[in-house]
Amino acid sequence: MFKSMLEAFLNLFRPIRTHQYPAEEIVLPSGYRGLIEYGIDACIFCDKCEKVCPPGAILFYQNEDGTKTYRYNPWLCIYCGECVRACPKPEEALWQSETKQQSALKEEGANEGWFVWEEACKQSREAYAAAKKSAKIQNKSEE
Amino acid sequence: MRKIETTLTTLLSDIGAFYEAKKWHFLSVNGIDLGEGKIELQWIFSQYGVKDEIVIYYALSDYETPVPSIVSLIPSSIMGEREIVDMFGLTVDGAESGLYLDEDSLAHPLRGEV
Amino acid sequence: MKKTIQIPLGSQHISLLEPIRFKFECENEKIIGVDADVGFVHRGVELACTRSFEFKQVGYVVARVCGLCAITHSLSYTLAVEKLLGYVANDRIKYLRMLMVELDRIHSHMLCLAHTAENAGFEALFMQIMGDRELIMDVQEAISGNRVQFDYISIGGVNRDLTPELVALIHKNLGLLTGKIDALIGLFDNNWSLSLKYKGVGVLRLEDAYIYNALGPLARAAGLATDVRAETSDFPYEDIGYTMILESTGDIHARNFVRLREIVNSIAMCQNIVNNLPVGEIQEKAKGKPSGEAVVRVEAPRGELFYLVRGSGQNILDRVRIKTPTFSAIPAMMEVFKGAEYADAPAILASFDPCMSCTAK
Repeated sequence: MFKSMLEAFLNLFRPIRTHQYPAEEIVLPSGYRGLIEYGIDACIFCDKCEKVCPPGAILFYQNEDGTKTYRYNPWLCIYCGECVRACPKPEEALWQSETKQQSALKEEGANEGWFVWEEACKQSREAYAAAKKSAKIQNKSEE
Repeated sequence: MRKIETTLTTLLSDIGAFYEAKKWHFLSVNGIDLGEGKIELQWIFSQYGVKDEIVIYYALSDYETPVPSIVSLIPSSIMGEREIVDMFGLTVDGAESGLYLDEDSLAHPLRGEV
Repeated sequence: MKKTIQIPLGSQHISLLEPIRFKFECENEKIIGVDADVGFVHRGVELACTRSFEFKQVGYVVARVCGLCAITHSLSYTLAVEKLLGYVANDRIKYLRMLMVELDRIHSHMLCLAHTAENAGFEALFMQIMGDRELIMDVQEAISGNRVQFDYISIGGVNRDLTPELVALIHKNLGLLTGKIDALIGLFDNNWSLSLKYKGVGVLRLEDAYIYNALGPLARAAGLATDVRAETSDFPYEDIGYTMILESTGDIHARNFVRLREIVNSIAMCQNIVNNLPVGEIQEKAKGKPSGEAVVRVEAPRGELFYLVRGSGQNILDRVRIKTPTFSAIPAMMEVFKGAEYADAPAILASFDPCMSCTAK
């Protein structure tokens, strides 16, 4: 019991162990798992990252001329890095940086905007597949 | 891992002959939906102090037949039995529903047709 | 006729970390009957694993069943699927996985000890143990990128490797921690006010431990020699120096000492692993789709965790059955409360280390 009282008394003179945030900056360790970054020039649009992502944070929108548009939701992502491991060109098309992501503000529309985009991507895929099928049937009937 | 087949009517006598409190450790009751209204129920045991010795007693049943309770032999099986009452909608003697689900939740979620 | 009153230890209470509701039947101050209600945080994880996620993604879903033992859930699931695919990991992968499980055990036991000390009234000790626990959290963040949810294990290996700077950091922090744990052992044994609250309180006898199938530190403190690390051949635990810790009295003091000695044993095992790591690749391809039935048991910090996975050759599995340690220990816990005083109930509950998110998955 006396040992505890002596410890408690000496603690008055020891430095504070709490990190004084935000007066003191937090130092992130190296290898911090940050945001996923995309390089459109090297991407071959194979869709592997979209299929493998557990929460579904990467979606591609199918344009009518055959190209695709990439969209990434940093507030749904769990920063596991599975997309980078599945990509056939991991350093050029998709890689994980060390930037910490910021919290979402209300005007960015993190939830409602993403639901709208999800629905639009699904419908663009169906419209593209239907257009391809009708073009194929038209080609066959012309032969 | 050994699997031994049993039926619902002979369950109490089979497990009564097999189980000794100081030799076997009872893990849990489990149910797997096989489709078309059939369920496979499993009672899983492991042995104290021996490597990789797991014994599973299994029985095939459906949604309506009441399942006998083994609480008289193994008092800690009450938790697993309450769980299969909630998850599959079965009836077990002495196990009441309401462990996980409330009155307005989705009823028997682990059945195949959900 | 003696009258009994019902006092609830409600689902929201100052001493609880997670919601659980007990209704105690008390006669003057002694508890004679217990009724428990778990399942406040039921999220339906077992249904989600078989409907919305493919088998490669389920490892990340089950890790979120619990916060403190996240890595044991994802490791058990991955081992079960690797058994179905017929893949055996090489030695380097096995040792790295064991390293993360033992580090997780150290920080979980320190959290339980801090919580037990807080419920006995010694709040300064709670702050001190949490401050010392930061040494382990720094190591975990440097190895895997996160303090609690590691996302470290995938099918076929682990996601990151150990570098020489990491090895130096592990040795430094574990060395500092050894001195602090020795001081804690002296304090928990000799402090007069803590022994009033702990010795002889909340006793589980050995016969009751056999009848109610107790597991984890609760059983080992009563004298029941059961530990999955000695009963499974999936991991080479004897090679790195594992010993089973047993006590015989079964009260709160014995449970604290089982946890403290397990921390000392885990620190020695981690240092052994880091010094003798075999060479090899950290990620290998495991091809195919799972079909059949596989069963895995792993020792989580609170007891034995059990997974049964059944698949039929497709991307979506048929059944994932999760049996968590606290779920099995609830009947034994209810037995310990009978005969105790009502004022000791929060301290007894904290010494069981209940994890309610595991129970009500």
